[in-house]
Parts: sequence; structure tokens; C-alpha cells
Amino acid sequence: MIDVILQAFASIVLDPVTLGLMFVGTLAGILAGAIPGFTIAMGVILTLPFTFGMTAVQGLATMLGVFVGGFSGGLMSCMLTGIPGTPSSVATTFDGFPLVRSGRPGLALGLGLWSSFFGGMISAVILVALAPQLAFLGLEFGPWDYFSLIIFALTITVSLSGGNITKGLIAGLLGLFAATVGEDEINGVARFTFGFDEFKQGFAFLPVLIGLFAFSQLLTDVEDDKRAKSPLMSQSGSVVKVEHRQAILIILKRWVNLFRSSFIGIFTGILPAAGGSISNILAYDQAKKASPNRSNFGKGEYDGVIAPEAANNATAGGALIMMMALGIPGDIVTAVMLGALMIHNIIPGPTFIQDEPLLAYGVFIAFFVAHFFMVGLQAFSLRIFLLVTKIPMYVLASVILAYCAIGVFALHNVVFDIWVMFFFGVIGYFMKKLGFPLAPMILGVVLGKLAELNLARATGISDDMLLFISRPWSLFFLLMAVISVIFPFYQEAKKDTLFAKLYVPISMIILSLPLFLMGSPVRMIVATILVLTGAYFLYKRTSSLKTT
Amino acid sequence: MSINKDTIVAIFLLLFCGIMINSSFDIEDPGYQGMKASFWPSIVLCLLSVMSLVMLIKSMAATTDNNINSENSNPQNVFLKFKNASICFLMFILFLGFLDYLGMLIGGVLFVFGLLTFLGGFEIKKIINHSIISVITIGIMWSIFTFGLKVILPEGEILRIW
Repeated sequence: MIDVILQAFASIVLDPVTLGLMFVGTLAGILAGAIPGFTIAMGVILTLPFTFGMTAVQGLATMLGVFVGGFSGGLMSCMLTGIPGTPSSVATTFDGFPLVRSGRPGLALGLGLWSSFFGGMISAVILVALAPQLAFLGLEFGPWDYFSLIIFALTITVSLSGGNITKGLIAGLLGLFAATVGEDEINGVARFTFGFDEFKQGFAFLPVLIGLFAFSQLLTDVEDDKRAKSPLMSQSGSVVKVEHRQAILIILKRWVNLFRSSFIGIFTGILPAAGGSISNILAYDQAKKASPNRSNFGKGEYDGVIAPEAANNATAGGALIMMMALGIPGDIVTAVMLGALMIHNIIPGPTFIQDEPLLAYGVFIAFFVAHFFMVGLQAFSLRIFLLVTKIPMYVLASVILAYCAIGVFALHNVVFDIWVMFFFGVIGYFMKKLGFPLAPMILGVVLGKLAELNLARATGISDDMLLFISRPWSLFFLLMAVISVIFPFYQEAKKDTLFAKLYVPISMIILSLPLFLMGSPVRMIVATILVLTGAYFLYKRTSSLKTT
Repeated sequence: MSINKDTIVAIFLLLFCGIMINSSFDIEDPGYQGMKASFWPSIVLCLLSVMSLVMLIKSMAATTDNNINSENSNPQNVFLKFKNASICFLMFILFLGFLDYLGMLIGGVLFVFGLLTFLGGFEIKKIINHSIISVITIGIMWSIFTFGLKVILPEGEILRIW
């Protein structure tokens, strides 16, 4: 295997044409990711026709450049303007934007850049080492398990509510409702269209996202005349630089968060149709729950930037694992890559890595190399992008509003999408004024359709609702959902109460149950470790209760 | 018991839920096997109604916060507070309303110039700066999308006649 990996490495790194194409691809991806409304998928699709004349490795390497560049390009716009360039950057906005506002744009961008790099590297290593084994994990998932996974992801609403759970849940439910408008994907029946044909297509995700986040944020920024005429950053004279060294040190100090987020990213990438839009939010939530500085989240906490950026780049690796090892595209981007391979008469499948080892490992290596291009190009382009922080807010707001309109139109070439952006911008603005958090609403819009689709699939296959708790993965995610909902009460509870002492050990013991049900040796070992650790904590904590 | 902003929002949300639940009864049932098209929205709307009711009860039980008779509800203060946001809303509506006639290029330039001038001020020097900024920024983005990405942006009747 080592010699194949070395040969694949040489075919990428020693070929100047492939390297040049990857360079251009990564640059195009960074630009695509940074333009609001221009998605990574659009970037990769536009690249496809150019790959017809290339070899399979060159074509895929170029597309991987766009893919990796696009993921990290989103961080520039989301941090500096508060507009997530792609859905996979949504959670980066929560802490990246406040960190920039607090006067640390160089550090914020450095953290985002290097977290993306490390997340991608971890994912690439796993990709090379464990691709075939991990790919089969995705095949274990049925609609019941997906639905439970989404329910678990939706429970994050509680922790994104920022202290007002009622308003957070209402915002989340409004997002879920917004996702139901238009034709139902299963039956093709129009819902809540009120006779307007335009409503039949529903609200596309990006106009809603840009409206809620960007439009409402920009309106808030120009609300006050004095603030509107001052720049985003008040440091005048000095040139803002990306703080690479400090960012790397901070990330390496938080290696647990980095690895946890990367593994969440890889895991979500393996699951078809889950992708970066879920992984960045899941990783952010887990980072928040595990952090001792939970109250700082949403105000510019470092962990809040590291987690989503590491996760979304790692997701790309997970999606590649599924595509290369099983021929199942996890998202639009990998579907386009699959198409590119088919143009060259190569059809990925379970035997693909054995049949075409040079090509398969070539793709893995290209994914690895693309991250180095990404860091080099980002370090350069971020410095230019930082100049944005010197522009008065009202200039920035006016231009960005127009750019948002152009970007949103380009999504489907319909003016209705711009109206949707405007409508949700107004809603977002007033929701903010009334104290509603916007993040849960975004979560609802992103996950609503997926939840309904998988629930419909599950009930279409079988009427047996017990499958939701009898299938191990589904049970695992439902238990995680319950634990996640109770978590804020655990945070609030005093440390010497019975509830606070029993929450962690009982959660560990309960979570081991579905792992035991899965049956495979590795999961049985993990489950046993969970039970033993939980029992140990339980014993220690109950005995300390007796003594007091 | 007091009436505050949250009470009004909760009542509005309850009304919204009522209208939407009523509308969900009109969702067609094609008679296919499996989950009905109205099932999921109904669940979401029921939960939303319950949460809105919780918000209503909580807001009425609250004592002083967000009282609608506060200083902030003075019409003059409200106008000043939302002046710039209202300008943005109005300009954007005008931009979208005239998009078919002006197109993305001319409409975009006029939108950016108008917004910059209303928010930034009407001094001659600023107006010159604003016109340069609007032409350059929209020109570049329009060129990237039109020539680079081959996206056909709304041309507008004015340019079409030309």
C-alpha cells in the first residue's frame, strides 16, 4: 500500500501541470466561497467543463482545489462581513464575526484559516488510512437513523438560544415552518402558497440565510448615524495582519476541540446528504458544551471559530470517502466529481480502491495537497480582504446589499429569490430587535426539509414507529438528543446537587446501550469503556454524597 | 399582569399559527400511501402554537421589562431609531420594483449611489465619491458574473432598447 501511496504522491506533486491546475482551482474556490450567494457546488459545476480535456487525476485534482478553497473562502466573508459565504460557514459567523468586531480580525482569520487546514489534514490522513472501512458505516444508516440524527441536530436550538429558550425554540420552529412552504418533495403537493406560483418552489436556503444574517446585520450596522460612518475596525493607520503564529499556538493548545470537531466533520461527511451545513453546527455545539468558557460563546470565543472551520473542511474528506469507496455521492459536489470520473469511463464502487489504486490514492493526495495551496493563497488573499475593515460601515453596507442581490439572483436566475432575501432580511431585523436569536431559525430552515424527507421515507417503508428506538443508530441519536436537551439544566444546576452529580455518569451508561446493540467488536469495546467509566464516576459521586 | 412587547409578539404569533393551521386543512391529499403532505407542517405549527402560548403566559406574568409605555415607544424616537433601516428598506423595494426596467447594472449602480448618499450625506465631495464607488463596485461585480461566470443578469428594458 505504501508504494502505491508514494506513486500517487509523485503523480500529483511532481507533475507541474497538475499542481498549476490545483493552484488555479483553489484560487477560484476561495473566490467562489467568499462571494455571498455563490456556492461551492456552483464553483465545482462551473469547473466540470474545463476538466473534459484533462486526465482523470488532473480533473479531480482541479475540482478538489475548488472544493477545499471554497470551504475556506467562506470564512473571509463570514468573519469580516457577518455573511456566511456558504451554508457550511454558518456557525463560524457566531464567534468569528464578534472576534473581528472586538478588534482581533487578524487572529480571527488566522484561527479560521489554520483550523480549516488542520481539520482538512486530519481528514486527509483518515481518508488515506481508513477509507474502505469507514465507508461501510454510511451504509448502516436508514431513514430512521437520519431522522433521529436531524432531531439531535435540532436540539442544538436549545444551546443556540442565548439564554432565552422559549424565543430560541420559537425561532427554530419558524425556520422549520419556512422550510415547509412550497411543493412537498414526497407528494409534490403545494403547501402554504396562497395561490402564488412563485411560492411553489419554496424558499431557497441561501436567500433565506443571506436575508436573515446579512441583510438584518447590515441594517443594524447602519442604524446609528455615527456608527454607520465609522469603519468596521477603528484601528487607524496600522496595517492589520493575519496572526498566523498565535493562531496556530491557540489551535494546538485546543487540540481536543480540533480533533473532536474534525471527527464530527468526517463522520457527517460519510453520511450521504448530511454534509458541511450540519457538521459545522454540530461541532460548534459540542465545542460549546465541552468548553469551560461557555458564556463566552457568541462573543468571540476561540473554540467557537476552531470547531466549525475544522469540521467543515473535515467533512469534505468524509464525503470523498463515500464517493471513492462506495460510489455514493454524499452531496452535489461529490456527485459532480462522480460525473467527472464517469466521463473518463471510471465508475467508483466497492472495488474501486482495489481496481484503480493509483487514481484513488491520487485523489486522496490531491485533497491533502490542496490544503497547502489553500493556506498559501488564503494567507495572501486574507491580507487584501482585511482592507475591508477600513471602509466606513455605510459604504460597506450599501455595496454588500447590492452584491447580495446579484449573488442571490445568480443562484437560480429568478428575481423572486431577491424578494425572499429581502423578506427574510426584514423578518430577521425585527426578530433581532425583539430579542429572538436568529441561529435557531437558520438551523430550522437547513434541517427542516431533511427531517421531513427522512420521516416520510421511514413511515413509507414501515408503519412500525418502534423502529426509531429499536435501531441502534437511531436510538443512539435520540438518546444524544435527550442528553443535549437536558444539558443546559445541568449547566445551570449547582455542582453539589444530585442531578449535577449523576448527569454525566448516567449519560455515559445510557449511551453505551445502543453501542452494545450494534454488535461489532470495536463498538462493544467502546460501550464497555463507557459503562465502566460511567459506573466509576457514579460510584465516586454517590459515595461523596453519602459522606456529605 | 402587564402588556409588553413580548405579549404583542406572542398574540401575533398565535394569530399567525391560527391562519396557517387553517391553511394546512386546504393542503391536498393525493391519496398516496405514507405520510400526508400536511402531517409535518401540522406538527411544527402545533409546537409553534404551544411555544407562543408559553411566551404569552410568561410575558403577561413578567412585571416591568419591555413595557410598551417606555421612552422608546415615543413616535419621534422610533422614527429616529429606524430612519436608516427604513431608507434601506425603501431603496431596496425601489431597486427590486424597477429591476425589470433598469436592469441589474443600472439599477444596482443607482441603488448603491442612492443608499450611499442618503446614509452618508449630500456634500458635493461625498456625492462624487459615492458615484465613483457605485459605478466601480457594481461594474466589477456585474462584469464578473456576466463575462466570467456567464450568468445572465436582468438586462432591463432601457439597455434592451438601446
